[in-house]
Amino acid sequence: MEAPLKYIFDSIQYLKPEVAVSIFLAILVTVDLVLGKKNKQVLPYIALAGLVITGYFVTQQFGTSAFASVQHNIGNFGLIAVDSFGNYFKLIIILSSIFIVLFSISSIEIKQVFDRHGEYYSLIFGMMLGMMLMVSSADLILIYLSIELVSLSSYVLAGFTKQSLRNSEASLKYIIYGGTASGIMLFGISILYGIMGTTNLYAINTILQNGAFQPLALIISCILIFTGFGFKISAAPFHFWTPDVYEGAPIAITAYLSIASKAAGFALLIRFIKVTFIQTIGEDGYWQLLGVIDWKSFLIMISILTMTLGNFSALWQDNLKRMLAYSSIAHAGYMLLGLAVFSDQGVMAILIYFLIYLFMNLGAFFVVMLIANKIGSEEIDEYDGIAYKTPLLAVSLAVFLISLTGLPPTAGFIAKLYLFIALVDAKMIAVAIIALLNTVVSLYYYIRVLKHMFLTKPKVEGERITIGIADTVVLLAMLIPIFLFGLYFTPIVNFAKNSIALLGF
Amino acid sequence: MLTEFGKIFVFILIAILFVVVALIAAKIIRPARPTHEKLLTYECGENPEGSPWVKFNIRFYVVALIFLIFDVEVVLLIPWALVYQDYGFTGFAVGAIFLLLLGLGMAYEWRKGDLEWDRPHPIPPVLKKSETDSNLKIPKEEIEVV
Amino acid sequence: MVTVSLYHYLFVSTILFSLGIFGIVTRKNAVMVLMGIELILNAANINFVAFARYGNFGFQGQLMALFVIVLAAAEAAIALAIVLNIYKVFSSVNVDEIDRLKE
Repeated sequence: MEAPLKYIFDSIQYLKPEVAVSIFLAILVTVDLVLGKKNKQVLPYIALAGLVITGYFVTQQFGTSAFASVQHNIGNFGLIAVDSFGNYFKLIIILSSIFIVLFSISSIEIKQVFDRHGEYYSLIFGMMLGMMLMVSSADLILIYLSIELVSLSSYVLAGFTKQSLRNSEASLKYIIYGGTASGIMLFGISILYGIMGTTNLYAINTILQNGAFQPLALIISCILIFTGFGFKISAAPFHFWTPDVYEGAPIAITAYLSIASKAAGFALLIRFIKVTFIQTIGEDGYWQLLGVIDWKSFLIMISILTMTLGNFSALWQDNLKRMLAYSSIAHAGYMLLGLAVFSDQGVMAILIYFLIYLFMNLGAFFVVMLIANKIGSEEIDEYDGIAYKTPLLAVSLAVFLISLTGLPPTAGFIAKLYLFIALVDAKMIAVAIIALLNTVVSLYYYIRVLKHMFLTKPKVEGERITIGIADTVVLLAMLIPIFLFGLYFTPIVNFAKNSIALLGF
Repeated sequence: MLTEFGKIFVFILIAILFVVVALIAAKIIRPARPTHEKLLTYECGENPEGSPWVKFNIRFYVVALIFLIFDVEVVLLIPWALVYQDYGFTGFAVGAIFLLLLGLGMAYEWRKGDLEWDRPHPIPPVLKKSETDSNLKIPKEEIEVV
Repeated sequence: MVTVSLYHYLFVSTILFSLGIFGIVTRKNAVMVLMGIELILNAANINFVAFARYGNFGFQGQLMALFVIVLAAAEAAIALAIVLNIYKVFSSVNVDEIDRLKE
């Protein structure tokens, strides 16, 4: 076998999760074609099996750190970096995918289009493949391709029930904003390629260390590239799509976009900035970035803008889905602060935040979905007195919202606590205070939902809302970690601490 | 001295000037006596019927999309086709997997009925006894419109 | 006598990029907006190929251009399908009129 092909086959051992996802994607399409119009109930279970197998391969990979698809002409750097940082995010993506498949089984919106379930699950797998490549890509080519793979799948998923006005509008807005953002990002990538002569992040870092480059063009290209990342994580100037798409898309997909797609975007942003611009890592874990771009003030500015905008817009939302969309923008702002610290501690805070955010945000969306299944609306006014119709759902939603606010004894408190510790340790007291004030603002709109649920008399007396056993189990699977990690958080902190290592640093 | 691009620029300038001067000169010199016949698009042709902006049938669009995707995927085969012989059977197998996946896409479209050119099946009007006149017949050519 | 250099390509690609942004911002018809996005992608393509050719960077840039061509086609197909669906549901492809999701 000739050499280049041998390197490709050698790296398959590092790509087992991605290969598993691709194979299951093909299996899903084939099974859908064989089954024809009936027996679609089996598809989600195939999807779940695929997710569990992929998860197994990812856990097997913990501790490895190696390049896959190595290019020997540019100094043995590879296209894909397999490391514990990427594996941590892959686990988050797989975990949220499992929950989303479970959501979809009980979602009325998805059930209505039962004849297209094959597409639905294969698109979810396509999106997952893209996100798993996103979190581990170390090359601008792969970064762009994986972002597009995620985007193309999610454009279709956002408008999955074609007849609904909301769905169609959401997917149109998503594809216009998304296409523009990724196009601008591609233009930035092309300029960066022109300055550096390579697309590999590690090779670019070597060139930057030697200091032979055009500073102005570099700054312009990096700002253009940030557009793409900012779109994915819905940071402030690029957040316009978020409320409309989150409100319009089917709830299961909204939940997926708010967790998995955002996690992948954050992982990519952290990897891009750290790998490309790092100079040295100090003894205390603080990163010394190359002085070409002032990423610190840039990110702090963006994150303060993001959280303030998200929180204050959420104040006067009457639709719960839209409110959660703005709240997810605000949370992206908090998490960006963790990156702006530029230390291992900050990254650890982001990792902890994401794991906890997964449970609390998915939980909130799940309850909203179960209630919408019954009453057919997400308007806050419709939630008047719903606690008397369905105590379990109301109490769980209350717990999730309190956790999103960040009050003890829920896990949300731990997430915020580690973030603020990282900020204070880095002597960014003023920023920490702004973030704290934002949390206080967020308390108002979360509590407002609670007031509607528990204290307002219902306008019309409806019958009780009951949920099935399977839904209760899924709900508890998200409710228990909220309390568990709120009181006994050592395991996730240790897990996150062991996962901050990027390949090479 | 003019550069190569300068020559092209002068050429374009002269071309524009030529047209503009000719049109303006004609406008000034010619007599203007418009009639209805003269203002028609094709003075000695058929009179236009309806709007020229015909809406094409949506089925053309689906076929065009499918063609577009497969047509463009072939671009990815060109680099492979240039080098696969150097790698023996593995080189061939790598391309074959790609083609297999494309084939899966094709099978998908086939199974889902997107390749069917489904003609409309108009229900022929059911004639009541009283209407069954000898000179009443269903115009065949109108049903066969695709 | 001037030979065509890298800067000429960059000039063209910058103009294309600006036209694309201009189209996205000013056009109301969704199809026109999508054409603007295509212009941006093609501007980047010109950059990639020109840099690869004039910088002697190897084949990475040209390879990227190939990928982008394929992705642009895929994106156009999906986008047009979505626009078609929008037309079915809203009977309009004017992006300003499709604005039901508002607070």
